[in-house]
Amino acid sequence: MIIKRQLKEIVKKEMLIMLRDKQTILLLFFMPLALIFFMTLAFKGLYADKIYEKQIPTVIENESNSPKANLLEKKILLNKLIKRVELPPDMDKDRIFEYGEAQVLVVIPKGFEEGTKPVELYFDPVFDTGYKIAVRSMMTGLTVEVVMGIENIDAIVGNLITEKTKKEMDVPSPLQLTVPAYAIFAMFFIAIPMSIGFLKEKNDGTLQRLFTYCVNPNVIALGKIIPYYIINIIQFVLMLFIGAFIAPYVLGIPFQMGTHVWHLIPVTLVVAAATTGFGVLIATLARTLEQTSTLAATGAILMGALGGIMVPHFVMSHAMQKLAMISPIFWAHQSYLDVFLRNAEFSTILPKLAVLSLFALACFYIAGRRVKWM
Amino acid sequence: MKALEISGMSFSYNSPADKLTSGGIEYALHNFSMSVDKGNIHALLGPNGAGKTTLMKIVTGVLRGYSGEFFVLGNRMPDNTALTSIGCAPQAISLYMPLTALENLHFFGVMANLSDEQISERSDYVLAQTGLTDHAKKLVSAYSGGMQRRLNLAVALLHSPKLLLLDEPTVGVDPQSRHHIYETLIKLNSSGITILLSTHIMEEAARLCSNVTLLDTGKTIFDGSMSAIENLEKFFLEKTGRGLRDN
Repeated sequence: MIIKRQLKEIVKKEMLIMLRDKQTILLLFFMPLALIFFMTLAFKGLYADKIYEKQIPTVIENESNSPKANLLEKKILLNKLIKRVELPPDMDKDRIFEYGEAQVLVVIPKGFEEGTKPVELYFDPVFDTGYKIAVRSMMTGLTVEVVMGIENIDAIVGNLITEKTKKEMDVPSPLQLTVPAYAIFAMFFIAIPMSIGFLKEKNDGTLQRLFTYCVNPNVIALGKIIPYYIINIIQFVLMLFIGAFIAPYVLGIPFQMGTHVWHLIPVTLVVAAATTGFGVLIATLARTLEQTSTLAATGAILMGALGGIMVPHFVMSHAMQKLAMISPIFWAHQSYLDVFLRNAEFSTILPKLAVLSLFALACFYIAGRRVKWM
Repeated sequence: MKALEISGMSFSYNSPADKLTSGGIEYALHNFSMSVDKGNIHALLGPNGAGKTTLMKIVTGVLRGYSGEFFVLGNRMPDNTALTSIGCAPQAISLYMPLTALENLHFFGVMANLSDEQISERSDYVLAQTGLTDHAKKLVSAYSGGMQRRLNLAVALLHSPKLLLLDEPTVGVDPQSRHHIYETLIKLNSSGITILLSTHIMEEAARLCSNVTLLDTGKTIFDGSMSAIENLEKFFLEKTGRGLRDN
């Protein structure tokens, strides 16, 4: 009874301290929300439909002006992928991409219609490979149509190859990745206020007072862990709410919850345990307030970078994809993607949750061994 | 009966391995003994690093791993019941700055296992004692240094302790607050509370305390009546030397 009352009071005290600290609120709630919005917009191009969602500024140089060359130019201009841009006549063609006005240069040379000279394609060196493939494919199709006198090559090819992907699964929306990614990232940032709180109490003598009152050290530790665990869960629910119901309207980008929404409950409970464990570990490793901020922030950023938060996992090199597996953020992110995008069965998610649980247990164990309050 | 009795206490922050690696253990307290009579205000004096704060931490149960023994109000320590008869105001302001004075008092009251009625009653009393009644609902972060020191003392008094340990209770406060704290300590002592006062202010110790223990490098240098000392500061410097204590 006494323990329950003391525990309740410690939790209440921690909550009050946290909620009255504007910097902590900004760090835990507004930073990830801002990141979700900004990173979703930034990733929009990466996840866009390469054929229909973006127009590529293209310079077309028709040096031939033969009927076939003019027909090819017309067909290129009619394609939704292409937006023609004109460059000043005195502009150096070799330096065309330096000015940032165009990303593709198409040259239809003299002799094209005789088949003696091929159509030339030049790409901006920083041009996305996905778009490069799309432009190359489009140009191949159109050139074959013009040279061979075919009206619509897609109609012919359509009998040989057809795409059957479900419409809603066509292209993953960047929101699908950024919402869980930055929610997890923010959850790991809980280590900063958590460890600062632990250390402050150790340094300012409030812990000394508590020991004078014979408060059980486990009650003190639990009383400090519970509120941060709850805050972690609130963080995720808030991020999900914004990501699923508000961001799609603001950004015009869809978000799908997946077919097994209830899987989010065990996943979030385990992820919150891992993040809280990380916080406790930092609190016991750090000796000064400066160390707590540095260790917690650097740790979260490194785990985030490795775990596919800043650069999506599928974009990473094979070696980095393997290395990512050492980051708990990778397992947390993949668990959420299993729910949102892959509609995975719980048995598929379970091994990932086991890894996260092990991480949490290891953190709590090491922290328990290191704590030197007495 | 003695309020506090310590005999042959030794304590080191070094781990046993340090003995091998650094050639020996450095003691914060070494074979230290002292006693505080019930009903007294007893000064604990010593230069920086003498071991005063370590001693306070051991008595309040924060530090373990000492050798020797000590008794609080006749109870051999560690003893949880006896521990609750100690009130402690650490050297640092040991309060939660984002909480109000009342919230701090309620929190520590629950930790001391007081009922809500007791907390309410005692909070009113200790706030009045420390002159903070009108500021009870203000955040501690908005308090002046002197007010924070007084609240630090108020929290130590909340659970009606019989032995009060004060570690430099007037450091950094203005003469008005310092004077108020002195008055409060005298009143508390006259109500039967024993006080162990650790301070660097010789005038404070001479004014308030009937007995003094002088501590240096973890050892007792002097333990006796204040009345036997004519000039405390001169006596302190004679006993502990004039060299700077920068380590």
